[in-house]
Amino acid sequence: MNAILERRQAALPELSPRLAEMKRRIRAGEHHRFRRADTVDVLSECEREGLDWTQRAARLTRRLCEAQTVVIEPDERIVFTRTVRRIPPLYRPEEMEKLVAGRVFHELGPISNICADWGMALSQGLLARRAAAQAARVRLAGDREAETFLDAAVETIDAVLDLARRYAEAARAVGRDDLAETLERAPAHPAASFRQALQALRLCHAVLWLSGHYHCGLGRLDQYLWPYLEADLAEGRLAPAEAQELLEEFFIGLNKDSDLYPGIQQGDNGQSLMLGGARRDGGDGVNPLTAMALEAGRKVALIDPKINLRVTRETDLGLLAKGVQLTRIGLGFPQWCNDEVIIPGLVAAGYDLEDARDYTVAACWEFIIPGNGMEVVNIGAASMPAAADRAIRAGLQAGEGFDRILDRAGADLAEQVRGLAEASRKLLLPPAPWYSVLMDGCLERGRDLSHGLKYNNFGIHGAGSANAADALAAVRALVYDQRRVDPARLIRALDSDFEGEEALRTELREGAPKVGNHDDAVDGLLVELFDRFADACAAAGDNGRGGRYRPGAGSAMYYVWLARGHEGMREPTVGATADGRRKGTFFSSSLAPSPDVQVRGPLSVLQSFGKLDYRRVCNGGPLTMELADSLFRGTEAVEKVALFIRAFARSGCQQMQLNTLNVDTLRDAQRHPERHRNLVVRVWGWSGYFCELDESYQNQIIGRHIYGA
Amino acid sequence: MPASVTGVVFDIRELTIHDGPGLRTTVFLKGCPLRCAWCHNPEGRPREPQVLRAANGDRVAGRSYRADELATLLNRQAPLLADGGVSFSGGEPLMQPAFLEAVLERLEGLHVVLGTSGFAPVEDFLRVVRRCDLVLFDLKLIDPEAHRRWTGADNRLILDNLERLADLGLDYLIRVPLVPGVTDTEANLRAIARHARALPGRPRVELLPYNRAAGGKYAACGLEWRPDYDETVPCRTDLTPFHELQVDARVL
Repeated sequence: MNAILERRQAALPELSPRLAEMKRRIRAGEHHRFRRADTVDVLSECEREGLDWTQRAARLTRRLCEAQTVVIEPDERIVFTRTVRRIPPLYRPEEMEKLVAGRVFHELGPISNICADWGMALSQGLLARRAAAQAARVRLAGDREAETFLDAAVETIDAVLDLARRYAEAARAVGRDDLAETLERAPAHPAASFRQALQALRLCHAVLWLSGHYHCGLGRLDQYLWPYLEADLAEGRLAPAEAQELLEEFFIGLNKDSDLYPGIQQGDNGQSLMLGGARRDGGDGVNPLTAMALEAGRKVALIDPKINLRVTRETDLGLLAKGVQLTRIGLGFPQWCNDEVIIPGLVAAGYDLEDARDYTVAACWEFIIPGNGMEVVNIGAASMPAAADRAIRAGLQAGEGFDRILDRAGADLAEQVRGLAEASRKLLLPPAPWYSVLMDGCLERGRDLSHGLKYNNFGIHGAGSANAADALAAVRALVYDQRRVDPARLIRALDSDFEGEEALRTELREGAPKVGNHDDAVDGLLVELFDRFADACAAAGDNGRGGRYRPGAGSAMYYVWLARGHEGMREPTVGATADGRRKGTFFSSSLAPSPDVQVRGPLSVLQSFGKLDYRRVCNGGPLTMELADSLFRGTEAVEKVALFIRAFARSGCQQMQLNTLNVDTLRDAQRHPERHRNLVVRVWGWSGYFCELDESYQNQIIGRHIYGA
Repeated sequence: MPASVTGVVFDIRELTIHDGPGLRTTVFLKGCPLRCAWCHNPEGRPREPQVLRAANGDRVAGRSYRADELATLLNRQAPLLADGGVSFSGGEPLMQPAFLEAVLERLEGLHVVLGTSGFAPVEDFLRVVRRCDLVLFDLKLIDPEAHRRWTGADNRLILDNLERLADLGLDYLIRVPLVPGVTDTEANLRAIARHARALPGRPRVELLPYNRAAGGKYAACGLEWRPDYDETVPCRTDLTPFHELQVDARVL
């Protein structure tokens, strides 16, 4: 690092000593001493009282709120520390089996990966939600299901109110009147200040996790919190610097419990939030809180919250630069979302324009509408490499023309989608009374969100796309056009993982065009694969919940699983592939050129992936690029990368993750993890601590294309 | 110039940071008449393609392009380069004047930057710079003797070309690579400041701090990296000599 960079970094503000100490404590796990060792027993009383599932879910929320020990650290202004470790079962295994019979859970079972209407919850307050439930109870008297649900919802509301009351009393007892006043007001009443809104959000969000939900999103934070901050600032109740510090404290607090959250690797926890973008009425939603949240993310520099920023080609360069300052420190966010592409895509998929403008992301990148979406955005993945591979083999063996291979690949994708769709129609979504309180219309209709909300689509990842297109392009170029490779020899080489066929492998790798170079010869095949994938999703029809199947471009963990296999996975694995990829080699994460291929640079990559028709491929899935941290050595780099973001908005691409890496640092972290405990990297839709990842994931990151080195 | 003129390019890089304003793609033309002791692109010196032998395998540096082929490639990026453009660097791009001119006359709606040492025949220099929107003119040493010692060539031609460029009224600025104890001396920076002050339009001066990675590619080129100066000394980035003479200057 040279002197100039050091000077510039020094110029950027850092955490206050109070927050730096708070961050240190959390990373050191000092708050773990408050956690109780036992597991709360909820099951016994549920059985004793003969409660149904909805009632049990509410009882869980209540008992876990009650089991929470109040923790108020002297330096905290926003409180809540989870002290209950485990989420207890609501049914014995054999009972659960009977309950589920013939159906399947999505992942772990509980509702996950959606986003509450936080703006509604904060502005109404829980007492108003309670009144809404009671009014519906009267209106819907006699509707047993509604009565049960509404009683359960009220039970959860009372549990949260009681938890807040206990915190307020404890605050009074230790002379923390500031805290007590905050907690006496919110979340019971409409938040009357920025601090109250943050405190209420912290509590209500934490209770989602306590209720067994996971991947709990935070939605459009700058949109729903700005009115509170704006009023505080206008009235002179809060100085901008204090507001900034409160927001940073809130961000730090989100990291307290991440080791208790379920996920594939730690960090995969879906505490994502969205900034900027269009308002529901189409106006520009960027407000002062947008930049404040970007700044808070940079200063806090922890894995949560995962920040997304909506942009267009008109987005102010200063705001883009703020985002790039966050990119530069290497957390892997913000993830950039292109409103120009995403909103029309959602409208084309049947979303009302106002709702489409209100999109946020689920855990990783999938677009959902806060408060209105009970969507299951990741029911599985279509393996594009497997589709291409099977089509290539069958087509070559049958001596068919290349177009027929494409048709076969399309048919294979359709078959994969059909299988996923069929399995997904058996999905069983369990009741979620507390989550329902925070959604639009559940209390008013007397129906739990598991019965569905306004939008009920399912999403399917389209994984391994670049390798699949490269494989097809290699076959077209070398087998069909140039007739340099004999079909039988190619199939034998694939079967033997290129044993003794190194020259052929080199030819496949170097003698044919690759995705990422703005070369229509191969990009056209990528487009074709996604078009056929979209056709397959459209043909799969209704998902049994009044929704449809949305094709996506993300991979999640399938860039690993589709290459190596995974227990219980429905998706097909594939061996060596005709792009010259050896068996077992990981695919690229989401959208990116295939590993180890030559690409000209990041602009060509934008142009290659900008060709996809994202009006059809609307589930989300980011173009993923790695920048060398050395790129940021000069004083102009931040502006250049900000302009690159604008080029992204112009390119027709949908979504982008930009990760800043230093390979030497990553290698050193593998050798000396103790020196790099806080080193954060983006893995797929989430960021995690590098040293806590499995080695194979670490190596995949080290092997990515790195631009600007 | 005909479309079929060919030239040798050793790299095309996208999202380059120091090659002009905005978002840019830079084309590095192969071949350079100078032998600067601090050169960090040794593969840019020979005109012909060559094999680089690095730890991670061999690679050929240098590829021949037809002028229309390179122009098409760049024109296809134009939609993304609206906030910037393309830059030509090297090597010394003016070693291939006919090729460069043939490419430039085929570019459509792209802002063009030329990065040059100025060491080129006057006619070539003028023909090419007239087609550029901005010239980044490298000025290393004012003292002729020192210039010969550290670059292997006299700076007479360079200073003449700089004057002609200034007379044309084109947009240009002076760039000084800071090399510890060589170009970053107070005497040299003062001389450059005086020179800049005397030029029409009084160009801005940009100082490029020394990059310790300079010697990184020598071994791959089959060359030995043995700088005749102490590269461990931090280079001076003092702007006082410029500010004293009211010359606009900054450190990149």
